[in-house]
Amino acid sequence: MSARAAKDIAALQAALAAEQAASYGYGIIGSHLAGRRFAAAAADCVAHERARDSLTVMLTARGAQPRPAAAAYQLPAPVRTQAAALSLAVMLERQVAAAYLGLVAVHDAALRTFAAHNMRYSAVRAARWSGKAETFPGLPASSLRRSGHTAR
Amino acid sequence: MACWVPHTDRRAVPARPARELGARQVVAEPTRRLVLAAAAAGSLTLAGCTGIRALGPVPKPGADVVALERAIAAEELMVARYASVLSPLTGFGVTDKRSASAVKRAMAVVSVIHAEHEAHLAQLRSRLVLPARHATSRPRQSPTPAPLPAGWPSVLAALAAAETAASDRLIGWVPAAPPALAQLMASIAASEAAHVVLLGHHKAAR
Repeated sequence: MSARAAKDIAALQAALAAEQAASYGYGIIGSHLAGRRFAAAAADCVAHERARDSLTVMLTARGAQPRPAAAAYQLPAPVRTQAAALSLAVMLERQVAAAYLGLVAVHDAALRTFAAHNMRYSAVRAARWSGKAETFPGLPASSLRRSGHTAR
Repeated sequence: MACWVPHTDRRAVPARPARELGARQVVAEPTRRLVLAAAAAGSLTLAGCTGIRALGPVPKPGADVVALERAIAAEELMVARYASVLSPLTGFGVTDKRSASAVKRAMAVVSVIHAEHEAHLAQLRSRLVLPARHATSRPRQSPTPAPLPAGWPSVLAALAAAETAASDRLIGWVPAAPPALAQLMASIAASEAAHVVLLGHHKAAR
């Protein structure tokens, strides 16, 4: 396998792991919501499952074995209230956006576009759940350059 | 931030902060400053005593530089658009107290988004380093946004439409951009799509 193909597969596996975790997490989130919020969580769960399935197909098409989801995931904090469920949703979406960052940088143009679209979906969902937008979704602060830099 | 670790892997995978996990995915590549400085130094060596003009016309910038310049121009336009909405001269014909309160809330959102666009612009500009002869050969005009529509709801709708269009354009440039720039463009495109939600146009945001 070429280094380029190996990089594509590693980035796909990272995105898949994030989508699997999000699909699991939304099951917990939905159990603490009702009405319109429950419906929104259900729709978001379906979106993550679809992305997970697409990633699985992409990996298989490249001759790779998609890593299976874990049976259960450790929650970052106990989720016993609606507020905790909402904050878990925001955290999951931010982690998913970050997981697609590697895929945006691969050589394959179709994979890049797929990843960019999914980063966008995650940012929109995070904004819906939190009422706030991130300035640079997915990007770690360490990757940003200090402003005030001038080109000469 | 706590890490989302599968139970089964808890012993095998040490928990790491999400920031660290994300940082590993960010592409490190030679900076544009480095590449352009090297190119400029090479040109100067070749030119010798006859001066740089002996080599002919200034070479055209590469596709990645063109993409970055386009992204900068688009972001400048967004900043100018939001600045015009925040201008003290913009009245929007508010007459009653309730409308005034709603406009105040909306202005706060617009102000936050304006600041985010300025941050996007700063990051994009920090990645563009051109030799002086390039910079002076193509003077840039200040962007002039389209006039604002009448009425506050129409203004928000126009901003939301502009955000959606800007996000779509950036995603269109992602496949051809160098890896690190593609990551920045994808992140900005995601942020711009999220702005549509903040502007109260949830259904328009995909």
